[in-house]
Amino acid sequence: MQKASAPTHRSPGTGASRGIGRRARLLGLLAIAVTALGLLAAPEILNLYWLRILTNIFMFAVIAQGINIIAGYTGYPAFGNVVFFGLGAYGTAVVMVKFGGSFPLGILAGIGIAVLFTIIIGPPLLRLRGHYFAIATLALNEATKTVVNNLEITDGGMGLSLPLPPGSAFESAGFFYYLYFALLAVSILATYVLTVSPLGYACRAIRSDEEAASCSGINTTLVKTIAWTISAILTSIAGGIYAYWLSYVEPSSLFDMTVAVKAFVIFLLGGAATLFGPLVGAVFIELITTFTWSNLLSFHVGTLGAVIMAVVLFIPNGFIPMIKDRFTLLMELLNTRKRR
Amino acid sequence: MLLAQVITNGILLGGLYACMAIGFSVIWGVMNLINLAHGSMIIIGAYITWLIATNTGIDPFLTIPAAGACLFVIGYAVQKYMINRLVEASVFMTLILTFGLDMVFINTNIVLFTADLRSVTVPYGGLGLQIGEVRIPYIRILVFAIGLLLTFGLYAFMTYTRIGNAIQATSFDKNAAALVGVDTKKIYAITFGIGACMAGMAGSLVAVLFSFTPVVGDSFTMKSFVIVVLGGLGSIPGAIAGGILLGVVESLAVVVLPSGYKDAVGFAMLILVLVLRPQGLFGKKFFAEIKG
Repeated sequence: MQKASAPTHRSPGTGASRGIGRRARLLGLLAIAVTALGLLAAPEILNLYWLRILTNIFMFAVIAQGINIIAGYTGYPAFGNVVFFGLGAYGTAVVMVKFGGSFPLGILAGIGIAVLFTIIIGPPLLRLRGHYFAIATLALNEATKTVVNNLEITDGGMGLSLPLPPGSAFESAGFFYYLYFALLAVSILATYVLTVSPLGYACRAIRSDEEAASCSGINTTLVKTIAWTISAILTSIAGGIYAYWLSYVEPSSLFDMTVAVKAFVIFLLGGAATLFGPLVGAVFIELITTFTWSNLLSFHVGTLGAVIMAVVLFIPNGFIPMIKDRFTLLMELLNTRKRR
Repeated sequence: MLLAQVITNGILLGGLYACMAIGFSVIWGVMNLINLAHGSMIIIGAYITWLIATNTGIDPFLTIPAAGACLFVIGYAVQKYMINRLVEASVFMTLILTFGLDMVFINTNIVLFTADLRSVTVPYGGLGLQIGEVRIPYIRILVFAIGLLLTFGLYAFMTYTRIGNAIQATSFDKNAAALVGVDTKKIYAITFGIGACMAGMAGSLVAVLFSFTPVVGDSFTMKSFVIVVLGGLGSIPGAIAGGILLGVVESLAVVVLPSGYKDAVGFAMLILVLVLRPQGLFGKKFFAEIKG
């Protein structure tokens, strides 16, 4: 059995997954398929409350997946990535309210704005690294919030009310559930494609050692900007759907720094640079948030803060790497029995 | 003339800003740790001052040492028992950790003090100097003077005391400092305590000048960040220059732009500085460039 250090076949993913045998990976895929089928059937079974929680989980998983692409795979911790969420939401809102456009058109507008943003602001900001880049993106988020707050077309701080989606409450709940589920599937697929593509290798090269990557002929500015654009597109679609879902947009809740950091913690908790990490993290954090909100109302913020601190102190690499390590150990233990 | 008044206001505010930012700068420069809970520590200091001043009638400026001492203890404990566990702290982790800490502080403040607006008034609050057309309230002069005094005090501490030198040594080269006998773990705890102490004392000044609630700390953290980047990381003269610069620019911005843009101006400056001259006015290229 080939150990993790000398794989005979090219397989995507980080070192730990290469150590897992083919049987284990098939099992994993089966588990994912079963879960996906179960989730698809959920609107028939669950009530509106839990449906909403699941939809929220999917939304945060998408935002965290966006962060995963720029921070996990490329190594640029974009703390303020939520700015694209807000831009997507406002793009959709303005198109639907001020121009009478349809929902798909609104989403496209949101994507357009996000892409424009990354193309213009990406290259200068991506020259920064580490702490500086993280806080610069936070500042970008705050600055964008202020600008949106003061523009005419967005009705400033009053916010915009979007037209209600058609259908009953239950129908629209199901509609948004499937929409976010589809978006989540797309984002995971996009991340997977990124992982096996040359672009993905370039991103990981940049994350490991940017100078060396540049010396190897990678156009680091281009690669970083593309990665951030992909991240921005996913996040802005999530924002656009959110605007339609909530039927109301206002700057302070859309460009919220707490959401930014929460999404970042979800990304960290699940495991950076993993495919399903953001989803795992989202499930964990959202369930805790829901629990503390309903049971510990006056201290729910503090509890979330304490959980965040505990995560950072005790599970710094995230859940999935932790599970993978234990699982790899188990599989290797089992496989050493059959020597080939 | 309005311009003179505005600029004077800005400079006086700058003294407070410098004091606010200096703790943040020290922690970041020495420990490579961006303390997102900095603003909340300022607010805790403000609440301590408010508590003492409203319950005992002591002049709030006299409560500054108390706020400083309390925050030093809190900061020292936080570093020693929590942050110290993150041995090889990466940029993600410490930011998230301090943000979680920030949330805990904010919630504690809300539970303890409620979210009502608080402020500390003094009998001489309305009095001031009149120089030509410029009116300078006594409070603002006091805040400016004390803010600068505290900042210079920290500078003197860093330069002339043994512990201060040990802190500087640790920031230059952690291993070399350990080799010459510096207990780096203890130094880190002390540094974080000092940063918190400065924040607490700045908070006392904030209590006199502004009205505050538990949640306004985040804007102070952002301001501190802008000032440190403007002035240069790890540089105390830089913090003073950055503070005054931010104060003046903010005051001017309120006059020129619609008032909603006041905070955005600081951010715009931040982004400009980061892109054009990341080391700020007085700083040397520091941690983030090397460790990333």
